[in-house]
Formats: sequence, C-alpha cells, structure tokens
Amino acid sequence: MKRLHRLIATSALAGLMISGSTGAARAADGPGDPSKAPAPVPAQAAGPTDDDLMASATNTSSVLTYGMGPRAQRFSPLTTINADNVAKMVPAFASSLGGEKQRGQESQPIVYDGVIYVTGSYSRLFAFDARSGEKLWEYDARLPDGIMPCCDVVNRGAAIYGDKIIFGTLDAHLVALNRKTGKVIWNKTLADYSAGYSFTAAPMIVKGKVIYGNSGGEFGIIGKVEARDVNTGELVWSRPTVEGNMGMLNGKESTMTGKLNASWPGDMYKNGGGATWLGGTYDPDTNSLFFGTGNPGPWNSNLRPGDNLYTSSVLAIDPDTGEIKWHYQYTPHDGWDFDGVNEFIPFDATINGKPMKLGAQANRNGFFFVLDRTNGKFISATPFVSKITWATGYDKKGRPMFDPNNRPGPPTGEKGNTVFSAPSFLGGKNWMPMAFSQQTGMFYVPSNEWGMDIWNEPITYKKGAAYLGAGFTIKPLYEDHIGVLRAIDPTTGKIKWEYKNKAPLWGGVLTTAGNLVFTGTPEGYLKAFDAKTGKELWKFNTGSGVVGSPVTWEQDGEQYVAVMSGWGGAVPLWGGEVAKAVKEISQGGSLWVFKLPRQ
Amino acid sequence: MSAILSRRGALAAIGGALAGAVIGVPGAWASPLDKVKAKGILTVAVYKDYEPWSWMAEGRLVGIDVDIADLLAQSIGVRADVRQFLAGDDLADDLRNMVWKGTVVGAPPCDLMMHVPVDRQLQIDNDRAVIAGPYYRENFGMACNRETTDCEVPPPQLKGKRLVVETASIPDMYLSGAFGGSLRGDVRHVYTGADAVAAVASGDADATVATRAQIEHGMTPGGRVIERKGMVPLIFNPGWNVGFAVRDDSRDLADELEKQMAAIIGDGRMKAIFARYGVVHRDPILS
Repeated sequence: MKRLHRLIATSALAGLMISGSTGAARAADGPGDPSKAPAPVPAQAAGPTDDDLMASATNTSSVLTYGMGPRAQRFSPLTTINADNVAKMVPAFASSLGGEKQRGQESQPIVYDGVIYVTGSYSRLFAFDARSGEKLWEYDARLPDGIMPCCDVVNRGAAIYGDKIIFGTLDAHLVALNRKTGKVIWNKTLADYSAGYSFTAAPMIVKGKVIYGNSGGEFGIIGKVEARDVNTGELVWSRPTVEGNMGMLNGKESTMTGKLNASWPGDMYKNGGGATWLGGTYDPDTNSLFFGTGNPGPWNSNLRPGDNLYTSSVLAIDPDTGEIKWHYQYTPHDGWDFDGVNEFIPFDATINGKPMKLGAQANRNGFFFVLDRTNGKFISATPFVSKITWATGYDKKGRPMFDPNNRPGPPTGEKGNTVFSAPSFLGGKNWMPMAFSQQTGMFYVPSNEWGMDIWNEPITYKKGAAYLGAGFTIKPLYEDHIGVLRAIDPTTGKIKWEYKNKAPLWGGVLTTAGNLVFTGTPEGYLKAFDAKTGKELWKFNTGSGVVGSPVTWEQDGEQYVAVMSGWGGAVPLWGGEVAKAVKEISQGGSLWVFKLPRQ
Repeated sequence: MSAILSRRGALAAIGGALAGAVIGVPGAWASPLDKVKAKGILTVAVYKDYEPWSWMAEGRLVGIDVDIADLLAQSIGVRADVRQFLAGDDLADDLRNMVWKGTVVGAPPCDLMMHVPVDRQLQIDNDRAVIAGPYYRENFGMACNRETTDCEVPPPQLKGKRLVVETASIPDMYLSGAFGGSLRGDVRHVYTGADAVAAVASGDADATVATRAQIEHGMTPGGRVIERKGMVPLIFNPGWNVGFAVRDDSRDLADELEKQMAAIIGDGRMKAIFARYGVVHRDPILS
C-alpha cells in the first residue's frame, strides 16, 4: 500500500523532480562534524532557561519555541503591526539558503539575541543576523548515502536552550550545536536510518529534557515519545504509543503502554504504527505533554480488528516519567490513513457557562476536536471541511458513527470496488500548524478540500515480490480551490469566516493581538487577514511557495514578521487534478523578513 | 511477450529522447552500453536484507542476484559494483530511486537494478525504466515443521499452530486475512521471509507461507522444514517472472544484458548459481 503506507512515516515527502544530482557525499561545509567526539559540556551556559521557554508565549522580543510558546498557540500579543497598518508592510531583507539543495522549507524560525535560526531542507541549520540578514554560520549534516530515499527532506525547526540550538536530521540523529559558533556539542543517534528511520519535526524542551517523537521505518515500526537530558543528550525515558509495548525510564523497564492485546490481535501490536513524527505540545498548567499518534499498520484495517490503541490518538504524557495520563482516540480502527499526529493546542474557554481547561485538534479525518485537557474527556467534534464520508459524526461519548459502506474492503486477489472517501488521506488538515487567538478566541485552521477514490489493487509489487496494495486517486472537491483557511469558534464549532485558495494550503498560521492572521500559500504569497472578518489585508510574493510557519517579534522598537519560502512538501507528489493547481510553482529556499516602513 | 516488448521499445524510445533533451546528461548521445564499457564498471542495485537474493553474510554482500550481477558484468567485459538499497513502499519507488532518477538526497541511480518483476502494467506505469531480462519464475509456497505439522492439510486446520510470516507481505495478508481471519491470532510477524523459514527450521514455529526461493533456501537435507506439495489455496497470486531494469535511455544495455542472461540460463550457469543457495532454478513463463 504505497503512498498510504509511506505516509505513516512521513507526511511531507518532498516532491518535485530533481535532475543532475551531484552525487554521493554531502560536504559538511558547516563548522561541525558529526563524526567527531562531542565537545565538553560547558558548566554554565548563558541563554534561554526552562523558565524562559515556559514564558515564551508572552516574550515579544524573542521567538524561543516552535509554536511560539509551549502550548504552540502561535499567538503574539504584539500590536505594532495591526489590521489598520499591515497594508504598508514591506520586506526588511531576505536571506537565501543557497546551494542546489532546495525543496520544501517547512521550518519555523527561532529568534534570540539578534540571531534568526532556521532549519533548511536536507538537514541544514542556518544562523542569520536578525538586523541585516547576513549569514553568521551554517551547519550542514553529513547525510549518509544509504539514507532511506523515499523520505522527505524537510525540517520543521529547531529548539534553543542555554548555549545550544538543537535539531533533528534525516538520518535520525539529534544534534546540539553551539548557538554562537555552530560547532557540535553533542550528536545522538535516535534510530537506525538504514532501517528507514528519519527525523523532520522540531524538538521541544521541557524541564531540561529534549522531547521528541519518531518517524520513518519501513517495516511496521511502533510510535515512541522520548526524552533526553538537554545537556548530555542521554536518554531519560521512552514511551511506546502502542499498547502491549514496554516503556523505559532511567535505563530500566518502566510500565507497559495500555493492556496487552486489549485492542490488537496476535502480535500485531509489535509493529502497529502510531508514529509520533510531528512532535508535541506542552501545557505547564497540567504538566502534560500532548503527542498525536499516527495511523495503525498494516494499512488494511480488515486485518486488525479492534480499536488498535493508541494509534490515531492523542496521549497526555507526564514529562518527568513518560507515563501516560490519559488518551483519546480520534479514529478508532482507522481504515483511511487518518494519521492523528496533528498538533493538540491547549487553550482556555468557557463552555456552557463554565470556564474550562481545554485542548483542540483539527484532525486529518475532517473533524475539529475539543477535549478537556485535564482528563481527556470528549467535549465536541465538528466538521471543519465541507465533505466527510467515513463517519456521520461523533456520539456523546466521543466515538465516531462510522458509515460501513465507506470503509475500504479486505484484501483480495481481484480489483475491488472503488470507494470515494473524503477527506483524502492527506487530510482535512495535514502537518501545517493552526493558531489560536487569545484576542478573538478563535482557531485559524489551514484546511484542504479533497477526497480520494480508493480500491484494492491485485497487481502491485513491493521489494521485488507480488503484493496486494490499494490504488487511489486524489481529487479536489471543487474546481476553483482546494485550500481553505477557516476561523473556527471552538466553543460552538461554528466557522466564522473562510478564505479560499486555489492550491492546497501547506504552511503554518500565526495570529496576533493586532487583529491579524498570517499564513503562506503555495503560489508564493505570505498573506495577512483581518482576524475578525477574514478580509485579506496584505500579501507579498516571496518567489517560491510558502510552506513554512510565520513568526513575529519586536526588535529595536519595531515589530518584525518572518517566514520561510521554498516550495515542496507532499503536495507536488500527487498527480492528477491536484498537480494542475501547483505545476507552475518554482522551488526556492529563502528566509523573508518584513516590517513597517520607518515613519 | 512480443506485444509487451514492442510497446516497451516504443516507450523507451520516447522516454530516452525526452531524457536526453530535458535532463541534458553529459554525453547523452553516447550509447549507454559503450559508456558502461568505457568506465569498466556496471553499477548494480540489489535489495537490502533479501535472503537468498542479496544480503550481508559475514560482512559480505552475497546472494543469487549478486552472483548473477557479477556474471552479467563479466559477460560484457566489466566489473560489477553491487550496492544494496532499502526497499521503498513499492516498485515505483525503487525504480525511481535506483534506476531512472536517483534518491532525494542525491545518490545517483545505478546502471542496472536486479529483481524487478516483469509485468506489463508495472512497465506501463513506470515508463522511465526498461524492464527486461526475465530470469526466474517465483511464486508463494508453504513450509512446515515436519515434527509438528502436516503441511498438506487445508490451511484453516493450521489453527492453533505457531505460524510465522514476513510482515506486510502477501503471505501476511493470507495468513492474517484469509479464512475469515481465523488464523490471525496464531501469526507471529518477522522482518523477512527468510527469517520466517528460519523460525520453522529452528523449531520456533510450525509453519509459514513464503516465496519458493525463501523456502528452498531455508531447507536442509534431513532438516525440519518440509514444503507443501499441493498448491497453497486462495493465495491471491499465481506467480510472477523476475527480471531486471535499466533507465529508459539504456535500451541497448538492456538488450545486451538480456542476451547474456539467456546465455547464462541456456548453458546451465544459472542453475548452478541457484543451486549454491539451495534454490531450484525455474524458467520464467513467457506468454
């Protein structure tokens, strides 16, 4: 099951043709060399502390975390740039990532102490001067030849802590660099790249631990969330996401995830999927990490009766021990590749007159979920795309009401019936992060309107042998648009406004107290919208598709907005009608920074 | 076969012209066969962890496909540089990465990829590769532990036996899905078909379904493993021919290697290679 299967591992496969590959070894033209022994750890490292990271959502002079705060609300209280003056915003500078390595730039910049740190495609990390855009240093991971070629080459961002800037690489290493020099402080192997493991998410740092998920692995991996000591890179705990597998804490077995064989037949839990490749969020109020999990394997759901816990779920995890506090399964017994990894964003709101600690997720499966984040209790699930075929809705307990006619059939030796399924496996929303405005109380969700024809395909081949896969065709639902940016009121599920875009949306969203919402488009624009009405107020074409996540901060009394430009991600891979919407888009690789003109 | 060949030839011609024009490969007008001879090396891609075809044993890459690649290279007067690669999600990924485009991180494609199913639809769907040189007929069989299991029973009667199978394969779908899924709870999953047969051979399992080559390779005279004589009922697939692939601009290389392959099969060298790995060579079924 080709694409579907692959998506377990990587959602954003970089896609466009490259020709004239220059061959084998990757020159490490950055100063660091991962093969060398780690440098001694400095005793006291000046720079962001745990407290700084926890307070990063209100620190307007820096961007210290992926998501602009541990809860990843992507909301800034800044108002210098606002709905009244954003039309005047102009570029301050642009910085190229250079080289022939382009493809998707899905990174979110980190800004600290006059430096903008961005990760680039092909496991590169750049430090740019935040005032001039001049490159200070570049680290280029030495990727091995044997790296799993199908995997994407994007990277979504870095984490900063003390003297370190930390990011993951395509060969499944986690690398801590000195943030001033780019020299390697430590470099740890997370998993075996030669077995297909990879790493593309932004790591997060909570209480002195780097916390991250896993991605890749061709043959039935299981998902894991892990924590390492930020100063040494040593493993502290490991938590499998699939029931029946054993966790680790401080070098010893800790507890089993869930209950053995409660929702899986036979030994399938040992390679049941549930990868956590997009990373997580953290809520200091409840001391919980929230990690979404990937869909179960094998792909054909008829082979694995049961709910298949905890795939396509969200897990609340104790960052100190790696113990699971609660779970909620978005798509029990998934049969459509509705990966559940999308970000779960903690927020507070009043429901039926009662102030509550909540969390929200916009799922691949087309529903926008609100849960009580203190206990995982289901509050609501409302459609955020226009067509959903696989379920008619959710009952009061939070179980989907499936439409049995729209589940793909068991594997057979003959071409099976075609099922039209919406959303497509690329999801009502894919990896691109949404934002929550504390000013409007609304979520701003980058969504896509597409479905897929799917059928059993008897004549396919895998690893040199016959295989029973599934054939599928992704189809846009409408002629004039695929992407839709939607403002959703999480207390009612009602959609307040929407902006339609011809190409699929594949970039993250930022919202500010200046009544603004920013997001990028594959057509190359960074756009600004009125957060209350959805009116488009400003746009600028960056020269290549925008699939990164914008950020904003204040520097020398002025407010800046930055975003990565560089077309790629999963979209260009899919042929047919979707390809038509994006075929004229050129590749790139630049950091763009904007501000208002000086008065 | 001839219809497939002529269609393939036409596709290759069109694709080749496009490749030369669009990609602008240096020396695109030199014959690929001449280029291989000039550099003296035939780069060959084989699957990683694919016993008995290509796998690492005692630090060395060995296997039937490795030996055939060596012999093919020799037959055109060059040396084989055999590289193993991790299988993608399907053959289209493998052909793209190893034959006509190269990997996304920049590793260039090889001159030749071994163990490509010779299939009309696969060729049509992957027209940037030329699939040729069928050298073996593969199909699925069942192997059992003779001490514990009658291998000729109707498969539903294997309920309660310790079954083992390569994960995410047709044999996996068969054992986990057929007969109403009644065997599902008895199935243990391993990484390769060879591992599954080895589990039966060591007594850790009672039965498996795997390819004939994997089964025969895992059998030893007087050992535990026996092969089911009858057909495996309702196995989804009657078998397929195994060949090789080259890039669509390398038709002359494919023609030459196909000719050499026929000679290797014809004079018994192929049978000898297979015999080294305990596998009976079966001629491809040309229809």
